[in-house]
Amino acid sequence: MPTTQFDSILERREAAMLGMWLFLATEVLFFGPLFFGYFHSRLASHDAFVAGSHHMHFWLGTINTAVLLTSSFTMALAVQVAQDRGRFLRLLLLASAALGIAFLCIKGYEYASEIPEVARAEGPEQVFYLLYFAMTGLHAIHLTIGAVLVIWTAFISARRAIRVEVLGLYWHFVDAVWLFLYPMFYLLERYSA
Amino acid sequence: MMRLALVWLALLALLAATAASSFVPLGGWNSALNLAIAAVKALLVALFFMHLSSAGALLRLAAVAALLWLALLFGLSWTDYGTRGTSPAPWALRR
Amino acid sequence: MSYLAEGFSLRSWLTTNDHKRIAVLYMVAITAFFFVGGAAATLIRLELATPAGDLVQPETYNKLFTIHGVVMVWFFLIPSIPSVLGNFLVPLMVGARDMAFPRLNLASWYIYVLGGLFTVATLIAGGVDTGWTFYTPYSTMFSNGNVLLAVAGVFIVGFSSILTGLNIIVTVHRLRAPGLTWFRLPLFVWANYATSLILILATPVLAMTLCLVALERVFHVGIFDPALGGDPLLFQHLFWFYSHPAVYIMVLPAMGVASEIIPCFARRPVFGYRFMAYAILAIASIGFLVWGHHMFVSGQSLYAGLVFSMLSFLVAIPSAIKVFNWTATLYKGSITFAAPMLYALGFVGLFTIGGMTGLFLAATAVDVHLTDTYFVIAHFHYIMVGGSVMCYLGGIHFWWPKISGRMYPEMWGRAAALLIFFGFNLTFFPQYLLGWLGMPRRYHAYPPELQLLNVFSSAGAVVLALGYLLPLGYLGWSLLYGKKAPPNPWQATGLEWQTASPPPKHNFEHEPVVHQGPYAYDPVR
Repeated sequence: MPTTQFDSILERREAAMLGMWLFLATEVLFFGPLFFGYFHSRLASHDAFVAGSHHMHFWLGTINTAVLLTSSFTMALAVQVAQDRGRFLRLLLLASAALGIAFLCIKGYEYASEIPEVARAEGPEQVFYLLYFAMTGLHAIHLTIGAVLVIWTAFISARRAIRVEVLGLYWHFVDAVWLFLYPMFYLLERYSA
Repeated sequence: MMRLALVWLALLALLAATAASSFVPLGGWNSALNLAIAAVKALLVALFFMHLSSAGALLRLAAVAALLWLALLFGLSWTDYGTRGTSPAPWALRR
Repeated sequence: MSYLAEGFSLRSWLTTNDHKRIAVLYMVAITAFFFVGGAAATLIRLELATPAGDLVQPETYNKLFTIHGVVMVWFFLIPSIPSVLGNFLVPLMVGARDMAFPRLNLASWYIYVLGGLFTVATLIAGGVDTGWTFYTPYSTMFSNGNVLLAVAGVFIVGFSSILTGLNIIVTVHRLRAPGLTWFRLPLFVWANYATSLILILATPVLAMTLCLVALERVFHVGIFDPALGGDPLLFQHLFWFYSHPAVYIMVLPAMGVASEIIPCFARRPVFGYRFMAYAILAIASIGFLVWGHHMFVSGQSLYAGLVFSMLSFLVAIPSAIKVFNWTATLYKGSITFAAPMLYALGFVGLFTIGGMTGLFLAATAVDVHLTDTYFVIAHFHYIMVGGSVMCYLGGIHFWWPKISGRMYPEMWGRAAALLIFFGFNLTFFPQYLLGWLGMPRRYHAYPPELQLLNVFSSAGAVVLALGYLLPLGYLGWSLLYGKKAPPNPWQATGLEWQTASPPPKHNFEHEPVVHQGPYAYDPVR
């Protein structure tokens, strides 16, 4: 599709990058109230949060973090390859998407195994679970959208370096959100579990 | 390529560190350490995977602005939550 | 060929990527919502014409003021100037061919319409009675209304604002014409830029806060529930973190419009241009630091109240700079009282009154007496209606030749502007007095001794309604019978006047090059 508003590819790239960074800024503030709610509720009911955290699957969460970090790595490689017009671009994109989907599968298994626990929860521990499902769920929605876009880009428009780069920013951001969710939900006073 | 691989390895090492540290009883410092490690990991991702280290001032500003505004939300709300006990509104006192 | 002649089919409008056409789409949509919100306001004022609650049931009254607030705030005021005039003018004023992301621009209109459909569905389903603020715990635990539906509508329309804001910011950063440096930008562009910053930094917080309300309502578990260690005030903090800056989303673009109209009809460069630009940025930033003044009597700590009170007073400084500079622009000017100028001058006066009474409310001790009274209602209507709506209409008249290619009938325009100014003051000034006398907001009945002032207010509302219907008539008439507009009917500066009226699809025949600052008016001696 021809673009009429830009004078050059460079101008277009700069606009796309700024647009994505601004979008990510809105995402930070979109997650903001959840983080604030977590912060407030955890100070208010610390013990319930520790109890809830002990019901999390420590190993699955940790492995999942590694999976996501690796997907970010392959995505970073894909961005580099797209810029250098190098080889294996499609492969790298699909690998990132596959790792993202693997993360979602593990997360789905965790959710399924946690449901009986959640049904039994009472009092402030319910708030822990609400925030857990809201925050990781919102993260999972973002990751799903990311995976769809990455697969779509891999098959349709992988040669457009700007698109790959902008998509990479989104992917890394979603990854970075998880880096905070992981200790917030999985690691509370693990030593006493 | 090499640098990206090193960053990836550093991220995995930090993951191992944060997971291991949670088994060491440090009281309140556990959470502080975990959040600090998460922040370092996120910084690595932002600087190298997201190329913020070589980005122009404007993109850095966008990234910092988001965090600054989040800090405003936390900080100014805390003028309330931090002082509810010490300077409550008269009509909020339980008699 | 003008952008209007590019296609006449409905399809050519609904699939357009042209920022000017999208602006017109927005104009149609927000005008429809303006009259929905206006109808609710009319019913409110009719009910309050007599002390007894005799026209509508108390529950219906609650739904009326809720729908009035929700529609007017999110479906009219917030998109009014940025999405209509900003969308139309920012690319023209910076000498660009379109917005940076034209398809995103169209998408944001569709998102607006989707959010609007949810709101209309709320109305059809029987309305919602929480007030536009959706305060917990009422909205999460007690209200039986259609809270989820209403909240969904506001949630969705928020993304429309976010995308418009993002588009304007990138456009201003990346698509300025050669020679158009930051300090050569018209103040309207500055105002829309600052507004867009607020849109993208504040709106996401509201969106997630409303999600949390919905979650709590559905699962009966939430961070706002004190029984589970939560705090209802947490909602207010999060809500006002968005909704106070939202006031500046509404009024900053209005200031931008006034800053274009006043120099043009005073034939003088705007006084203290740089200070005007800095003041815009200062208002946008300080606006984020004052939200707690909505919560002085809510139970937040006294210390927080003092901090927020002091920060609130700070906003007066850049606001006063702007009022002084508009006034100084008029000094020794050669003033023409054309319709847009009447709106702009009305704005300056009404904004000053609205702003000064805001200082009453920022003082914690006075606020204890005035919280939730009609004084607050009068204060924010002076800002939002006296400020934003006056300037929206002023801007519509000022740029009507550019948008439609036709001149509006000047005498009708002036008559409507004066009628609106008179009707507005008659409606809302008595409400200051009512509030000072202690009449609370959101009640459908009141003691008989307050009837006289309420009758004034209701009579004013009738005048105001007539005033708002007039432009609908004569602007519509001008589309068919108005005189053809020349490219620059007002001899105004600014790039938008250097192209045809209406502009061609890609705005300019040749990319403009800028050699001087804005407002290069020669003072007439």
